[in-house]
Amino acid sequence: MIIDARELNELTRRATQLMSETADVPRVLRNRLGAEHHLAQAAEAMQGSIEDFVRELRCFDISAQPIVADIFEES
Amino acid sequence: MYIPEADFEQLIRTLSEARSRATELAASIGARLGTEHRLAKLAYAASLKVENMLREVRFSATQNPDTGGGLAELQDALQTETQPVTPTPINSSVGMPTGVQTMSSFAAQAGLESEHWVSLFVEDLTSQLRASGGITFEVAERLLQQRKDDFLRDFLVARRMYRTYPHLFPESHGQMGRAEGHTISQ
Repeated sequence: MIIDARELNELTRRATQLMSETADVPRVLRNRLGAEHHLAQAAEAMQGSIEDFVRELRCFDISAQPIVADIFEES
Repeated sequence: MYIPEADFEQLIRTLSEARSRATELAASIGARLGTEHRLAKLAYAASLKVENMLREVRFSATQNPDTGGGLAELQDALQTETQPVTPTPINSSVGMPTGVQTMSSFAAQAGLESEHWVSLFVEDLTSQLRASGGITFEVAERLLQQRKDDFLRDFLVARRMYRTYPHLFPESHGQMGRAEGHTISQ
C-alpha cells in the first residue's frame, strides 16, 4: 500500500496539530518543576520525538515510493 | 515546587487527546507503509512517548499533595471496583444491526443511570459501530480511555466545586462528610 498526496497532506495536518497541541506540555512542566525534573525532561523527549516524526513526514517523498501492482487489475 | 490540580487536569486532558491522535496516526501510517518503514517507526515512537508521558503525569497527579489523596483514591477505585460485566450473548448468525441493538439494550438491562460511564461507553461503541460499520480493539480502548479521563475530570471538577462552594450542596454535605475515607463508588 502507498500514500497518495491527499493522504499525505491529511496525515501531515493531523501530525502538525498533534505537535502544536502538545507544545505547551514541556513548558508547563519546566516552569512548575524545573528543567532538571524527570517529568520535564520526559516531556522534552516526547516533544522532540513528535517533532522528528513531523519533520520526516513533511520531507516524505511520494514519488520515491515503490510502484506496487494492484492485484485487482491483474484479475 | 508542585503542580496545581488545575494544571494536572489540563495536562491529562491534553495528553489523553494527544495519545488518541498519535495512536491513530501511527496505525494509519503503519497500515499504509508497513510497520518497518522509518516513518511508521517514528510515528510509533512518538505515540509511545506520549503514552508514557500520560502515565507518568497520571502517577504524579496521584502523588501530588494538592490533590489531597482524592486522586489516589479514585485511581484505586478505578482499579479495584470496576466489575467485569457479562454481556448478553450475541448470536453470531445474526447481522450487525441486531448486534448493535443487543449492545444498546445491554446498558438498559444493566439498570444503570443514563450518565453512568458504562452506559456512555456502550453508547460510544454503538455510535462507532453505526458510523463505521465495524470496530477495532484499538478504537474500543481509545473510547474506554476517553471515558476514564472524562470520569476523572468530572470528579476533580465536582470535588473542587464541593470544597469551594459547600453551601451549594446542603443536602449532601453531611452525607459526604461521613462518607470521607470510603472508596469512591463508580
